[in-house]
Amino acid sequence: MSDPAPDASTGHEIEESKFGLYVQIAMLLAVITGLELVTVYLPFMKWLLITVLVVLSTVKFMFVIFYFMHLRWDKAFCTILFFIGLVLAGGTMWALLKLFGAEASKPLDTARIEPPPAVLRIS
Amino acid sequence: MSTAAAGAIDHHHDPTTTTGIPNKKLLMWAFLASDCMFFGCLISTHLIYRLHPPPGTPPARQVFSIELTSFSTFILLMSSLMMALAVNAIQKGNLKSLRWSLLTTIFFGCIFLGCQVYEFRNFVFEKHLTITNSILGTTFFTLTGTHGLHVLIGVIWLSGMLIYSFTGRLGEKDAIDVEMMGLYWHFVDIVWIVIFTAVYLLEYI
Repeated sequence: MSDPAPDASTGHEIEESKFGLYVQIAMLLAVITGLELVTVYLPFMKWLLITVLVVLSTVKFMFVIFYFMHLRWDKAFCTILFFIGLVLAGGTMWALLKLFGAEASKPLDTARIEPPPAVLRIS
Repeated sequence: MSTAAAGAIDHHHDPTTTTGIPNKKLLMWAFLASDCMFFGCLISTHLIYRLHPPPGTPPARQVFSIELTSFSTFILLMSSLMMALAVNAIQKGNLKSLRWSLLTTIFFGCIFLGCQVYEFRNFVFEKHLTITNSILGTTFFTLTGTHGLHVLIGVIWLSGMLIYSFTGRLGEKDAIDVEMMGLYWHFVDIVWIVIFTAVYLLEYI
């Protein structure tokens, strides 16, 4: 470590700016959480509110993983590795919700179960 | 570029590994990726049963307390901030700041757990929603309980690190250990971000 002073000062400035950045992001996340809360009480269409909620939570999610979890500064492989898991999880969720959301997947209500149709005989 | 030549430790890259990523960090990211699938399945299960609630399922909106959950969410977000500051502190070799940040993170983690215990007690004894008496109770307690268990593990890990910091063996060179713990803690936070929207807020629309 013959001459660490210039690098150290630059690094110090970066770390100081990170401190401010983290605080700003945390405040932003708190504001977004407040917006989410307000959103659910707005008298708009259901699909619109769900879209807004999904977008807002995705923004929060991305801020945390890229800034607090340092993906922005780490090698891209970390991002790829995590997103493999995320895409697999998201894909599984989508598939399950599609499968079980289908009309044929609705559970049978015992009160509505009808006797099987009589066998038709062709005379 | 070697770290010695730069005069400071490069906390984001490790030239001694083939990937350039510290092995511990790579391990943690791989674990978190697998944990995503775990929580993905739990959240899906809850949402599926909310799509087709069986007869007699209590309305979730009457059971949940959005005020308490919002407070818990805020607390967990703030704990994430303190965790990020703890990692920042150890990367600068600032042990005093690290200890205060860790202590605050533990404090916020305990508040979150306290809120969850209060919520569970309220559901069981006031709202009569248990893990066995309805599908809503089963999926809700399994999902949020698993998340709570993750928070508890995180609090124990944080406490261990805080105690270890007093032994004098924790320094800037060990920043990767604190960062790994930080990754785990932030993951717990992002899972809650999804649970808060998918489990709680969607019930109010």
